[in-house]
Amino acid sequence: MTDRITTLGPNRRSVLMGGAALLATPAILRAQGTAIKFGTLTPLTGVGGTYGPSMRDAAVSVFDAVNAAGGLLGGSIEYVSEDTQTNPEAAVRAVRKLIDVDGVSVVLGTWASSVTTAVAPLCWENDVMLFCVSGADSITRLPHMGYIARTQPNSVLQIQVAGDFMLRQGSTGMAWIGPQTPFAQSSIDILAGQAEGAGIGMESLIYEADKSTYRSEVDTILRSNPDFIMLGGYAADSTVVLRDIWQAGYEGKIMGPAYAVNPSVLDALPDEVTEGVFTWEGAPAIGSTAYANVQAALGVDVVDPYSAQTYDHASLAVLAAAAAGDAGGSAIKNALRSISQGDGTEVSDALAGLEVLASGGSVNYSGASGPCDFDEIGDITGTQFLFNQILGGAPSMFERV
Amino acid sequence: MLDLLPQFLVNGIITGALLAIPTIGFTAIFAVLRFPNFAVASHATVGAFAGLVANVYWGLPAVPSLAFAFLIAGIVGLVSDEIALKPLRKHGALTTAIASIALTIVLENIIRFFFGNELRGYDLPLVRDTRFGDVRVNPQQLENLALAVVIMVLVFTALKYTRMGKAMRAVADNPGLADLKGIDAALVGRVVAFAGMGLVGIGGMLFGLGTSIDPLTGFRFILPIFAAAVVGGLGSIPGAVLGAMIVGVGEEMSALVLEPAYKSAVGFLAIVLVLTFRPSGLLGERAY
Repeated sequence: MTDRITTLGPNRRSVLMGGAALLATPAILRAQGTAIKFGTLTPLTGVGGTYGPSMRDAAVSVFDAVNAAGGLLGGSIEYVSEDTQTNPEAAVRAVRKLIDVDGVSVVLGTWASSVTTAVAPLCWENDVMLFCVSGADSITRLPHMGYIARTQPNSVLQIQVAGDFMLRQGSTGMAWIGPQTPFAQSSIDILAGQAEGAGIGMESLIYEADKSTYRSEVDTILRSNPDFIMLGGYAADSTVVLRDIWQAGYEGKIMGPAYAVNPSVLDALPDEVTEGVFTWEGAPAIGSTAYANVQAALGVDVVDPYSAQTYDHASLAVLAAAAAGDAGGSAIKNALRSISQGDGTEVSDALAGLEVLASGGSVNYSGASGPCDFDEIGDITGTQFLFNQILGGAPSMFERV
Repeated sequence: MLDLLPQFLVNGIITGALLAIPTIGFTAIFAVLRFPNFAVASHATVGAFAGLVANVYWGLPAVPSLAFAFLIAGIVGLVSDEIALKPLRKHGALTTAIASIALTIVLENIIRFFFGNELRGYDLPLVRDTRFGDVRVNPQQLENLALAVVIMVLVFTALKYTRMGKAMRAVADNPGLADLKGIDAALVGRVVAFAGMGLVGIGGMLFGLGTSIDPLTGFRFILPIFAAAVVGGLGSIPGAVLGAMIVGVGEEMSALVLEPAYKSAVGFLAIVLVLTFRPSGLLGERAY
């Protein structure tokens, strides 16, 4: 009698079949793999957490709209969203994952200048296009070979415009108070130059972010008796500084960037503290199709400047890929200016642009944040600025320049 | 700049008194449970948001809101300790301390999930500062200072005269001997986890009263709290008050000689100096 020995382990046939299946799998995936991968890298948490979620949603609304209308280059757009935590170290880990694991060709939406500065080298070394909303002028001076485009006016331009405004309003003694950021010192230098040109005094103080009180800092800055104070921080610290300045009995003028004196700050502070404070920002294209699209996507009446910009990032990436016939980072980089500026048909959303491109035309995209024209180093040009004044706890338009 | 010295001193004393409350909570937990519980960051935030719910949503005044902040932060402290930290204590203080950092991130994000990232302010009337000569003080600050002093007195009274207070000091000083005397160390641990984190929650709300709050509120205090506890002597409750005063006054006075951007260096410097010259802290490790 012969005993049959049965084995429960893998036999030769099953191993061969399994192996063949495994080998075949990547081919199957490749056959479906016309998907295009874009990444959003916004501050979902941390200081920028007020903006990050809506920035991501604005960008995603473009990808969803394009996918719903038939996709891009014969495939669909896959998007991956990561969180910078408004922290350069966390952002570097996140962008490594986007590039190495997800294989994205575009990263869009970096907010804090320190974060953009940290992730930019990883992007250009890996042929990944980076769209950012950061203001520090040092960013576009990096050797990025064209892989950075920013839709936010750089800090030099922003501060010059604001300094001119302070002088126009008759300031006889300026002050700048803000946290340590990549644009703090350059802001002070620009303002000091303008003050010197106008023959007036200028005092500055760089404080440490993330403190619960700035009373001593406010005491220090008020020693010079300024009549116009510029805030240089973000929303959380500006709330504290505004309150401390008001409690100190200061009666002069104050101005801060719109991202710092934003709706959540206005909600958190009593109206009398913010009454009369000026804000300024790159003027969004209110009334454009793109702006209306972002309003609808986010379900808001007033679109914050960053969500408007990430909507444009996504649209620019889509149109550049369509114009190049290739969704790789290098192709998008090379095609960017062919769809963002020039003599093409003026379009204000990605779907309209795709139609024009499909019919063999060329496009000039102007989006929710403005004209979206870039100079040779990736800085935005032709931005208009909107000055608002806070009256009764809400921004009211003061002037547009 | 020296003309600002009295003002900086006053600012420092007020900051120090507020800092003392969460530091007492932190150091009491260290004294009894023998690990640095870095989850104080998120518990300060929990307290600040609990106070916000009581004050803004329910319309309660500041003092009942503070009591609610104490209660909720204490309950969260007790429950999270039982679930996340207690099972790890047998693996050593370092393991538990690292777990407490993870816990603080989890709690912070739970708050973010419910309340979002927006800044929020308490519904309290804001008034301008009152001037006494060259020094200005805000009535809200004086009220906060008074509250801080009252809370400190209550804590010291409870520790000195109540049965549980004495039991806590006994377990902190010599757990073995306390056990021999029949003191239930597990119960004392639970009471300390509750009361310690409750105090931290009050601290979070007291800081928020002067500013505004968001999910990162507590995270901003972790360094000064830790520095104050180390300076005073980890585990020493009077040391926590002394350490908080030194760090609070030191940070404000540093503006006389340092750029304000380096304020936090004072906390680190205090830790380095104390660990170099008096490793057990200024008042040593005795709980009381």
